[in-house]
Amino acid sequence: MKDPGNLSREEQRKVLEAAMQAGHILLENGAEIFRVEETIDRICKYYGIESSSSFVLSNGIFTTSGSEREEIFAKVQHIPVSGTHLDRVAAVNQLSREIEEGRYTVEEVRKKLAVIRVMPGKSKFMQVLASGIGCACFCCLFGGNAKDSLAAFLVGVLLYLYVLFVSSPHLSKIVGNIGGGALVTFLCIILNVLHIGQHINFMIIGSIMPMVPGVAFTNAIRDFADGDYISGSVRMLDALLVFFCIAMGVGLVFSLFHQIMGGAML
Amino acid sequence: MMFLVEIGAAVVGTMAFSLLFGVPDRYYPYCGLIGGAGWLVYSLAAIRYTEPTCALIATIVVILLSRLFAIEKGCPVTIFLISGIFPLVPGAGLYWTAYYIVTNELDMAASTGFMALKVAVAIVLGIVFVFELPQGMFRIILGKGKKKHLGGN
Repeated sequence: MKDPGNLSREEQRKVLEAAMQAGHILLENGAEIFRVEETIDRICKYYGIESSSSFVLSNGIFTTSGSEREEIFAKVQHIPVSGTHLDRVAAVNQLSREIEEGRYTVEEVRKKLAVIRVMPGKSKFMQVLASGIGCACFCCLFGGNAKDSLAAFLVGVLLYLYVLFVSSPHLSKIVGNIGGGALVTFLCIILNVLHIGQHINFMIIGSIMPMVPGVAFTNAIRDFADGDYISGSVRMLDALLVFFCIAMGVGLVFSLFHQIMGGAML
Repeated sequence: MMFLVEIGAAVVGTMAFSLLFGVPDRYYPYCGLIGGAGWLVYSLAAIRYTEPTCALIATIVVILLSRLFAIEKGCPVTIFLISGIFPLVPGAGLYWTAYYIVTNELDMAASTGFMALKVAVAIVLGIVFVFELPQGMFRIILGKGKKKHLGGN
């Protein structure tokens, strides 16, 4: 542990910025609020800033420091919600452990964080394949047979192509998820007509799983349990909105087919 | 036989989804194991109990396992928890609710909707209660010394 109170102004700024950078990566990639706050505090305390204080919301970090001995520092970072990359969360967590063991200088920490921030995930091909396999498995889990699972695999692959190339770069969350639900239902009905899958319900249930907001839902509950009600509410609202949008997409296409086919489809 | 296929599907499905969430490669088997265990408990409980009870019991098992693995491996519990809990999230309930609304069977829609809500509440209760258990307890189970770091939480 470094001596408190005798850091130069420049050093202090560097420590606080490194701490915020770590918090930024954690928050952006699906960590709980409590973990973000604790990591920022740990880094600041280790490098000898006693007066730091941070306030973390689901999409922003506010950090200040300043006392008789330490310079005043304040910074706000807005962090838009993006995808979940748990490998980055694990990497920052590991880094924070190693910092406490005294392995790095502030400069090294900042370099490491910059590397973690752009850490490559799985290739798009792998993601699409995983989505297909996941859909097939969940279709089987909820009662589908082998043919249904095959259909769910195809739909899962197409759905994730849609998510990667249309929905996440171009569409808002609401429209993207309604579109996803609609696409899944439409494809399942088509495959059913082509006799590739037999039970349309199980096919759809399996195939909507990649869109189900498991991360937002679970993190919302954990934030509530830790007493972070504002972030918990925002994340829960996010999860409910996505749930609702998927259901809307499914319902929309179903009622459309209902109209055209006079109920024969269902 | 069908039972084994389902467990296998839960294991592979959980692993596939953990890839989508960017879980580091070396943890896939653990995620799969947790997902499989959760579904096993859920199916066994389903013989006697109603859906929300099953979800509660399965959630408790999933979170206990996630916390154990998190301490054992020294990484954030979120990694194991999120993928492991996925098979229990009421995606199917959500679908049937939308389906019955569209087919205009509103009483069925209401009952499946409420059932999905009850399952969600059961999962919430499971998560909240198991996270209240002290960290030290898990360390003792694993026979590890007292080293307080966030990583295991």
